[in-house]
Amino acid sequence: MNKLFTNKFERSLAKITLKLQQLLFYKIAQKTLFMIFPFVLIGSFLKIIQAVILSKEGFIGTLLPDFEDNWLVNSIIGVTNNLSNLTLGFVSVLAAFGAAKYTAKHFKRDDQLAGLTSMVALLIISYIYSKAQPLSFHNNLLSIRGTLFAILLGMFVGWIFKQTSPEIPHKHLPNFTSNILQRTFISLRSILIVILIAALFSALVNVAYYSHLPDEFMDSLATNYQSNNSGIEFLKISGIALYTIIMSFLGWSGPYSPLDIEKSDPNILDNLYYALNHHTAWGAPHDLTSNSLYHAFATFGGAGSTLALIIAIFLVSRDPDFQTVAKWTMIPSVFNINSGIMTGIPVMFNIVFLIPFIMAPLISMLIAATALSLHLMPPCVYPIPSGTPGPLIAFIGTNGSWQALIFTLIDIVVSVYIYIPFVKIAEKLKKIDNLAIEEGDIDGQ
Amino acid sequence: MANKRNFKYLVFLALFLVLLGIPSYLWNKNSVKTMAGRYNSPMSPIIMIPGSSASANRFDDLVKTINSKYGEHHSLLKLTVHTNDKITYSGTIKAGDTRPFIVVGFQNNNDGYDNIKKQARWFSIAFDQLKQRYRFNNFNAFGHSNGGLIWTYYLEHYFDSNTFDVNQMLTVGSPYNFEEKNSNNRTQMLNDFIKHRDKLPADLAYYSIAGTKLYTDDGIVPLGSVDSGKYIFEGIIKHYTLITLTGDKAQHSDMIANSQFIILFHQYMIGNNKNNPAQTPSKNPR
Repeated sequence: MNKLFTNKFERSLAKITLKLQQLLFYKIAQKTLFMIFPFVLIGSFLKIIQAVILSKEGFIGTLLPDFEDNWLVNSIIGVTNNLSNLTLGFVSVLAAFGAAKYTAKHFKRDDQLAGLTSMVALLIISYIYSKAQPLSFHNNLLSIRGTLFAILLGMFVGWIFKQTSPEIPHKHLPNFTSNILQRTFISLRSILIVILIAALFSALVNVAYYSHLPDEFMDSLATNYQSNNSGIEFLKISGIALYTIIMSFLGWSGPYSPLDIEKSDPNILDNLYYALNHHTAWGAPHDLTSNSLYHAFATFGGAGSTLALIIAIFLVSRDPDFQTVAKWTMIPSVFNINSGIMTGIPVMFNIVFLIPFIMAPLISMLIAATALSLHLMPPCVYPIPSGTPGPLIAFIGTNGSWQALIFTLIDIVVSVYIYIPFVKIAEKLKKIDNLAIEEGDIDGQ
Repeated sequence: MANKRNFKYLVFLALFLVLLGIPSYLWNKNSVKTMAGRYNSPMSPIIMIPGSSASANRFDDLVKTINSKYGEHHSLLKLTVHTNDKITYSGTIKAGDTRPFIVVGFQNNNDGYDNIKKQARWFSIAFDQLKQRYRFNNFNAFGHSNGGLIWTYYLEHYFDSNTFDVNQMLTVGSPYNFEEKNSNNRTQMLNDFIKHRDKLPADLAYYSIAGTKLYTDDGIVPLGSVDSGKYIFEGIIKHYTLITLTGDKAQHSDMIANSQFIILFHQYMIGNNKNNPAQTPSKNPR
């Protein structure tokens, strides 16, 4: 290992990572993310069609003519909605399956049934008790934003299987039916226990409400609390940005969404009126807003500036896996849909990438804030269609300011350079990891 | 060397961004130009005028009912215009509320054509202040009883439909011919309204509700008087609809507590508007 990592910082980061990789949670989370990756990838391409091309507020949708009552277009919208909801919007259910399956396998319990039970449990928990619409679910818990919850639930289900059912025997019974029946009765108790706990949980706890309580709080902080002191305003915006970035690292959600740009913040409205009255964004009353900092300069490719990671991979990586993932997730990332790279590398829960994932956006914001305070570029004041490519947001949001475009390029270069050393570390670690798997540490299924 | 092979992806990425950048830059230049012509505020308030002898607090219960019945959170701002043209405010519009209720009441809230002219002028003062303050470019109008007459007078004499849109108007028991049952006996006010009707905004959709008891009136305003509105609006604005409400709570003053009315109110004032976010597909999953 000392041969691979020459400098001290790399070595300690590698040590921490290797320690973490020993944790069951870490192994299971990584395998689960790999398992859901294909669905996330397909879903993110569909999301481009749905939110960027066909939506009237989408980046490309605004360029297209109005097709309000076109039967064909409406059918396409319907089908893409369906597919994107049941891929990207459904991955947590798949993650719950995977996490429970891998956990049960680790404990040598029935992994198929544990996985299925965990899927059902997640659906029970996110069920909406409504007379008007039977069989509807809180979609936040089922989408990519519920990944952490789903993995924890899956591991819990696997653990219940370990506690309440015996190991599955290795000897197979002669015929298929009795084989299945034997498996069923071995696991039946665990299945019942899980379903009962899930039902109780869903009846007593409003999961969707509590899981979004911190977001609601941050949201109202973001829109209601305004300060005239630009230093405090910068701290507030970077604080909320930091929260958003960490939450998306953990497969949760945050108040700043990469696809929707705020319209209700009074400072942002103030800026817009100023710009519309004076026909320029220069001199707008509020230099630092979430639009002019976070959305314009810290979301190249979505939360964590993951487009910079993709560019870094193209520049320095020799790992074929990384390159394949980067190629495939490049297009969705252009439109700020980063779920693909989050699960494919994976970036989510990956401690190696935590530092650049936070630092790249924050340093970009710092550079932008400095430039804005020195009036080297105008703030981003005009409304931007959703899914506008990250590197174009500042340019379009200032109605074509070259200064903003130059600072965007500077920020991208800086972000890429922040990512590069970590891509190298991750690659080296992957070599060690691959060796470990070959030695049969955990059987890769 | 992996770097060289990947170079083409970087070039592709850069070209792709430039390719996307140029048309959207041109489009945005255009949209900023049109936006500069008129404010593109997401706010589309519902502006309400109470009837004679009622204050700006007249619709408190109505707003409460709407908010609780439909699970919505509209804020309520109340203005009172005093006889010396001064305006007092009470209540606030919450940040981010795109469909707030704004009630404009008058210190002098007496009946009669002369007072309606005065109230319309007072309303125009309040309206100018509101648009200065909240920068909206479109709104829905609601008037109860004489409130509808003030709206009509205002639209004919003060309103500039080139820079502003009134999307929908809803009135309840607005007596366009005062207490006159027979529409052949036209009052001075009705004649004036008809004379100036060309100034009404051509894209307005107007829903007029009349309550009736025993087929003829709502206890105060005769059906014929509400129905006279057709001589003003029909053929001039986009849609003119007369709705007759009967049954429990169909009397002149009770009507805004009538459950049928609440449904109509929600449908025309809140539910069906071009700025209504409910019409766009849900933004989840993000």
